[in-house]
Amino acid sequence: MPAIQIEGLRKVYGDVTAVANLSFSVDEGELFGLIGPNGAGKTTTMEVLTGQLIPEGGRVSVLGVDPVARPTAVRERIGILPEKESPPTFMTAREYFEFVGAVRDIADDVVDERVETWAERLAFSDHLDTLASDLSRGQQQKVMIAGAFLHDPALVFIDEPLANLDPIMQERVKRFLRDYRDAGNTVVITTHDVDVAAELCTRVGVVHGGSLVADVRPAELPAEKTLLDVFIERVDADATGGVVDDHA
Amino acid sequence: MTNSRTRRIFVEMVREEWRLHSHLFGGGRFAAFPVLIAVLAAGTTALLVVTGTGATTVIAGLHALALVFGLHTGSIGFVGRDALRNLLGDVTLLVFSARTLPLSREQLLAVFVCKDVVFYALLFLLPLSVGTGAALLGVPTAAASAGGPSAAASAVGPAVVTAVGLWATLTLTFVLGLGATVAGIGLAGRGVPGVALLGGLLAAGGAAWAAGVDVVAYTPYGAYLAGTPPRIAASVALVLATFAVGAVTYDPTGRRPARTAGPAFRRWWRRIGDPLAARTLLDVHRSSGGFGKVVFSAAILFGATAALVDLAGQITGVAPSVGVSFGAVLGLSGFTTYNWLTQSDDVDSYRVHPVAVPAVFAAKLRAFLLLGPLVGLGFYAVAVAWRGARALEAVVGAALLVGVACYIFGTTVYLAGLSPNEFLFDTALFAAFGAAMVVPLVPILVVGFALTPVPVALLAALGVGSVVLGAAGFALYRRAVPKWERRYRKG
Repeated sequence: MPAIQIEGLRKVYGDVTAVANLSFSVDEGELFGLIGPNGAGKTTTMEVLTGQLIPEGGRVSVLGVDPVARPTAVRERIGILPEKESPPTFMTAREYFEFVGAVRDIADDVVDERVETWAERLAFSDHLDTLASDLSRGQQQKVMIAGAFLHDPALVFIDEPLANLDPIMQERVKRFLRDYRDAGNTVVITTHDVDVAAELCTRVGVVHGGSLVADVRPAELPAEKTLLDVFIERVDADATGGVVDDHA
Repeated sequence: MTNSRTRRIFVEMVREEWRLHSHLFGGGRFAAFPVLIAVLAAGTTALLVVTGTGATTVIAGLHALALVFGLHTGSIGFVGRDALRNLLGDVTLLVFSARTLPLSREQLLAVFVCKDVVFYALLFLLPLSVGTGAALLGVPTAAASAGGPSAAASAVGPAVVTAVGLWATLTLTFVLGLGATVAGIGLAGRGVPGVALLGGLLAAGGAAWAAGVDVVAYTPYGAYLAGTPPRIAASVALVLATFAVGAVTYDPTGRRPARTAGPAFRRWWRRIGDPLAARTLLDVHRSSGGFGKVVFSAAILFGATAALVDLAGQITGVAPSVGVSFGAVLGLSGFTTYNWLTQSDDVDSYRVHPVAVPAVFAAKLRAFLLLGPLVGLGFYAVAVAWRGARALEAVVGAALLVGVACYIFGTTVYLAGLSPNEFLFDTALFAAFGAAMVVPLVPILVVGFALTPVPVALLAALGVGSVVLGAAGFALYRRAVPKWERRYRKG
């Protein structure tokens, strides 16, 4: 059963078409990457899927729920980490997790236990009682990652998962994401970093001009071809007119 | 080199401010703002004069307004440190470019303040003066008999002379208010000696006032009343001295160790019953100034009302109604309270959680009801204890305060959602808000300041009116929520 299904999605902002007739699906247990140049429509697609935006056309389904009609119901079941989001300025990291637990109805002792696990996993135990405004960008990213997974969701959307993290933390997050997927969960990441997508994702969609122009399984690419080659070919040449080329 | 660089920064900041507002609200709507202010000022002044309010009272009220405006603009200093380092970090304004350009933060901040003064003086205070000057043509004022700028106007005729004199003293009053707040924050941030000095200065001013010293004579308003060289020099010296204290003591950039805090969220959440409202109140509590900034904003209104009540009493010989005047004006603190409650977050910051847009607004309402009317009623109780009021009048005044505060809350939410600052310089929004305020409040204020003692029947009508205002506020709030939910999700 697909975790995500998109058919003919269309979203416009005034005269600008951000997403044009976008269709694809993501199966449960996939680690799906959405890559594309700036303004390709990746973030808009994520925002529609997570119930933040109402599209002008098309149908979307996330874990069997329509996020346009029932945004809160979808967000109860998924985790979200937008690129530009940081923990509330005047809450400590610990209080932010308590806040997440409160709005998600998680018992206090469960929250406390999971916070300890995440603080150890991403090495921020010493910063749990520091106000978020005084955390470094890297520490804020760790808190946001932990917050997105705190309720143990079946599906997580992450925008630029490795942003601001040092190489050691990047490896830990990559390992966690793989393990999470191996446990049967679904992860969708959007990124500008083609290498990260190639290394991490089981499947990658390339978005350009609001449409899907390639659908690739990096592990199944021919030896002489990289994901970057595909990306440049489909985006830079821009000669396909938005026709999906399934390299898998 | 330095001077030319400073000039260049100033010009670029003015250009940036213009582009920011014209981009946000549309060039035409932004450009129309001064025209709207002039029309509103002329209309309100004419209405007040027709209903028997003296021109001198109008001028005094305008100076009080400019002082309040300046004090409130200066209170941005409360969030200055956080704004510079955290809250506005994503806004790439020139004032935040000290890390990437060879300019000091102090220099940038000084130019930024100058730019704000010029901007407000030209776009707000100038049209205010022009509109008022035009409406007061031929109306005698106290300054006319005292030889102030409007004396010349009365003699020469053209309203432009009145307007220029008024503009000069209103601008000085605004700058005085702004400088006073910054200096106050600066002193308060300098430990015990600073707080002691601040307390001493306030006590000295209060003692002088109580001893009958004509303190007002040394302010820009005093210079307006009698434009003699000593008074002008005294008011300019007062402004300069205030700014000097602010410049020496206020530190917008002081680095500090990372702040830690004991876990308070769960405790607040359990007490309040709403995690979103608890987060909002924690934001207010932990941002610079704490709950003190909410109290400070109400204190400004309290002080301005006390001054206006005194002045109106002196002019008419009859003391205005304490309950009605203080109740109605302190109700305006609803706007400043809502402003502080929406300072640290927006709907976007809740989108990662399973929280619907209406729940965010409901949390703001809950936080507002816990904080806004209580702070206003606290000052109201002081006013009633200090000035005295009949029991019925005191009760009606309290009801008015709550009704006006709820009405302002509902109107603001309906027009501006979680961004009340958008009123500033968005002509259409400002006009709608202004009209929504003027229609119910002007009649109430005329009753409060001009009809005393207020007849029982009128007090009963005001009591009913306060309930109607509160109900209107809630009705507007209920209509606002689905409107903003649609708008936020439309992108």
